[in-house]
Order: sequence, then C-alpha cells, then structure tokens
Amino acid sequence: MRNKIKVFRAMHDLTQEDLAEATGVTRQTILAIEKGKYVPSLDLAFRIARHFDVNIEEVFTYETEVRTIDID
Amino acid sequence: MKKNTFYLVVGCIAVALLGIFWYSVEVHNALLIEIAFILGIVIAYFARKNVSDLIEDERSAKISEKAALRTFQVFWVAFCAVSIGAVMNLLYVPHLPRQRIVNHTSEYFPLELMPLKMVGYIQLGLLCLMIFLYVGFRLYYARKYGEWETDEE
Repeated sequence: MRNKIKVFRAMHDLTQEDLAEATGVTRQTILAIEKGKYVPSLDLAFRIARHFDVNIEEVFTYETEVRTIDID
Repeated sequence: MKKNTFYLVVGCIAVALLGIFWYSVEVHNALLIEIAFILGIVIAYFARKNVSDLIEDERSAKISEKAALRTFQVFWVAFCAVSIGAVMNLLYVPHLPRQRIVNHTSEYFPLELMPLKMVGYIQLGLLCLMIFLYVGFRLYYARKYGEWETDEE
C-alpha cells in the first residue's frame, strides 16, 4: 500500500501533529503510515482522505507485486 | 486527567503495592496483598478511563493485540507442558505405599510428590515467562509498526 499523505500534507501546509489531531490518532501513527510501516484501517484511511477533501484512491493506492518474465 | 498524571497514579499504586507486599510478608497474611493487588488494578483501570489525552489509537491497539495473541500462542504450550507434568505428579502411584504407612515416616505423602511450596515457585516462573514473552513481542511489533521511527520533522 502506497500513500501520498506527505504530499497532501505539504499541499495543505499541515504538520504530522496537525493531521494526527484532526484524525484522532497519534503523530507516531501518521509517521508510520507515511513511511509504509503501518497500513491504516479503512476507517482511518477515509478520515485522512476526507480531511484533505479528496477520494481515498487519491491518497492511497494498492499495489500488487508485479513479476516480469523474460520471454525469449 | 492528563496522561502524565495517570502515569504518576500508576507509579504511586506500584509503590503502595510494594509496601503492602512487604507488610503482608511481615504479618504472614497473603490475603492482604491479594486484595490490595486487585484493588490497585481496578483503580488503575478507572484512572486510565479518565485520561483525557490520547494514549491509545488503532496502531497501538493493534500492537497490544498482536503481542497478546502471540504471547498466548506460546504461553499455552508452556503452561500445558507444566500442567501435564503436575497431573502426572498427582496421579503418581507410590511403589511402596503400605510400607510408608506402616513405618509412620514423617511424610504422609510420598516424597516424590511435588511439595506445595514448589507449586508457588512454578507459578511465579510461569508468570515471569508470560511477562517476558509479552514484553518481547510488544517490542517486536512496536518496532515493526514504526514505534521508534524518526523523520526530519
């Protein structure tokens, strides 16, 4: 799971602390999500997206592992 | 109540429990520390409920949940192994029971049976194992879910 929280935060001029307070989590949680260490629940993901006033897919993208096979 | 006040209350409870433990050992009354311990935990839970600051969110809840589950998964194996040993001990049939009774030896039970004091030590050991496992798993999951991550902000 990839996310653009950092980009959106920069666009809205928000600190991690501000976003954490607005979404009801700790700053450490926002940091862990940004760094890809923690995948948020659907509820928190929606809250974050709503806070930035965008759709959830714009903030979070689900990526499956793509394997390429060389065919000669 | 602020978060730091809560930690202060927990510290005070711990010190008080230590004192009560010492006193109950002095007066040889185990019931005193048992009741005090339960009361202390209840007070700590109520104090935690009244904390206005955010001390737990979904990530920390997940860390606690995972650590507790893994602790249980490992602990029950150790607990069952010890319990099976204890049951074996209880069901142990002494080889020469009659001889002991006839001889009126000092022990009513065969010497091979586990003394009651030993059960206490084993329980203490199991409790320590459970705490050790929980702390270990908690540290592992806290690290996994970015508890100590730092950034430039």
